[in-house]
Amino acid sequence: MTTLEMREVSYSPGIKRASEVFESGEFVGLVGPNGAGKSTLIRILAGIWRPDSGSASLDGVDIGLWKPRERARRIAYLPQSLPEDDVLFTVQEFVEMGRYPYRRSLGGMNRADSAAVSGAIHKLGLDSLVNTPLRRLSGGERQRVAIARCLAQQTEVLLLDEPISSLDLYYQIDILRLLQSLAKDGLLVVVAIHHLEFAAQYCSRLVLLKNGQIVGHGSPTQVLTERNMVEVFRTPVKTYVDPLQGSLRLSYGAPTDSD
Amino acid sequence: MHRLPTWSKMLILALLLLVAAGFELALGPMNIPVSRLVPAAVLYFHGVRTPDAVVVGAIRLPRLLVAMLVGVGLSLVGAALQAIFRNPMADPGIIGVSSGGSVGAVVSIATGVASHGLWVSPLFAFFAGMLAMFAVYRLGTVGGKTSIYSLLLAGVAISALCGSVVTFLLSIEPTQTMQGMLFWIMGGLDNSSWVTSAMLCVVVGVATLVFSSCAKAFDIMSLGEEQAEGVGVNLQQMKRVTLFTSALTVGVMVSISGVISFVGLIVPHFMRMWVGPAHRVLLPASALGGAILMTGADVVARMALSPTEINIGVITSLLGAPFFLYLLRRQYSTIVRRR
Repeated sequence: MTTLEMREVSYSPGIKRASEVFESGEFVGLVGPNGAGKSTLIRILAGIWRPDSGSASLDGVDIGLWKPRERARRIAYLPQSLPEDDVLFTVQEFVEMGRYPYRRSLGGMNRADSAAVSGAIHKLGLDSLVNTPLRRLSGGERQRVAIARCLAQQTEVLLLDEPISSLDLYYQIDILRLLQSLAKDGLLVVVAIHHLEFAAQYCSRLVLLKNGQIVGHGSPTQVLTERNMVEVFRTPVKTYVDPLQGSLRLSYGAPTDSD
Repeated sequence: MHRLPTWSKMLILALLLLVAAGFELALGPMNIPVSRLVPAAVLYFHGVRTPDAVVVGAIRLPRLLVAMLVGVGLSLVGAALQAIFRNPMADPGIIGVSSGGSVGAVVSIATGVASHGLWVSPLFAFFAGMLAMFAVYRLGTVGGKTSIYSLLLAGVAISALCGSVVTFLLSIEPTQTMQGMLFWIMGGLDNSSWVTSAMLCVVVGVATLVFSSCAKAFDIMSLGEEQAEGVGVNLQQMKRVTLFTSALTVGVMVSISGVISFVGLIVPHFMRMWVGPAHRVLLPASALGGAILMTGADVVARMALSPTEINIGVITSLLGAPFFLYLLRRQYSTIVRRR
């Protein structure tokens, strides 16, 4: 059982006094408009940025106290930016980098490393591309490679900043289902996500951000209310339940200028 | 060529180095047949002083060692800097370490403190190189981001400043000859001896150990800091270790062989094309490549206008400058294309 907790976290500019508790088994979607602070919050949770005040802790220990390697054995972080299109490393080599926190500075991969890498490559459907250099891959493939590297870290916590933003429909659903099943297996998965209906359908819980503050959290139906949608996203919606899936759907109206 | 296994590429490099070394030892004002090189060296180490033995053992062998070690050092430092700055144009000459180091070395000589011991000049070169590199790094960092263009511009400015300081100090030095000045500006291997070889051996050995242990982190850092942070690379520590080791290595090298430009730029770049980006392979390949380039360049420098010697830095710059411009053009066009 893992608990990731933010207490009164502020980070200038971006986050104001945000508190939230995340527990293993959850698949949490961070939602909110551009600039609401989703990426900043993920970086703070990942221990990459230290909050100006307040604390982020994993199982009661301040994340900032860990060395980067120790931290990376427990928390994997997927940055929003994809690996660039001039990378000469192959898929295999790139995913192996996810084993960095476990490996000695000199010396090769042990059996656990190899198993973690090939498992991650397989889960992301990249088996046929293992020896292809990243610069020959499409944006969506590079995104999957980056996610595979996070899985290869074999952490209890996955923090993914827009993991499906450059994927086609097939892989959007594929990745979300994969993350959902990882959460069911006991991982804590937190994603920043723009696709609200997918968030509603796959995430177990949503956290709504506006101007760096958490303005709502709970189940998708509790968070994606018609009132919140107008106030936070400046877009009037009608919500309804998908008769086939049983999940929340949004029918969008024209955006408003009121804030 | 790309399909060759790595070990065979290494073998090819080793053979090339052997050939270059053979030329370096055999050719000169007194040509010595290859078959007599090894016996001459053996004789020298047994204290026999035939003409062959003296030329090979006391002159050419140390010179070969210095050429190779400087080549190894420059290329390793180049590869390491290119990884941490995430840019194929980083080079000890370009980011100020070399020119700063030359100021340190010249200051120690001009003030006379260099006569207190062999380690004084290298030490001065190390600290001045550090200082110059730190200045370039700070000047090139705006708002927490180190842009390669501001870094290059800062490097050009600091190098020019250091160059003029060196020229000034040398011009007020009454005993300075033109050749001596050229040494500090273009580099040369006239200081080669068994003692300087040993000093180089120590620092290049340290650099090899340090950089090898950083190889995995270099791989990840070459992808960008965002990518590196997530998998637990200690960026600050890596940068500090790399910059410190680079300044140490280059400082000692500059105090022995002057400023030799572009080796650290060209070699890792070519090797990345040939053996791939993984530093576990790239570092040793660059080391071998650097040794080949420096040895080859020295053969050319000594033989092209024989008996007049050209400064070796002239040769490396002749090769390197056009290559640098090509890289700059290509990187610029990539950026334009991306927009």
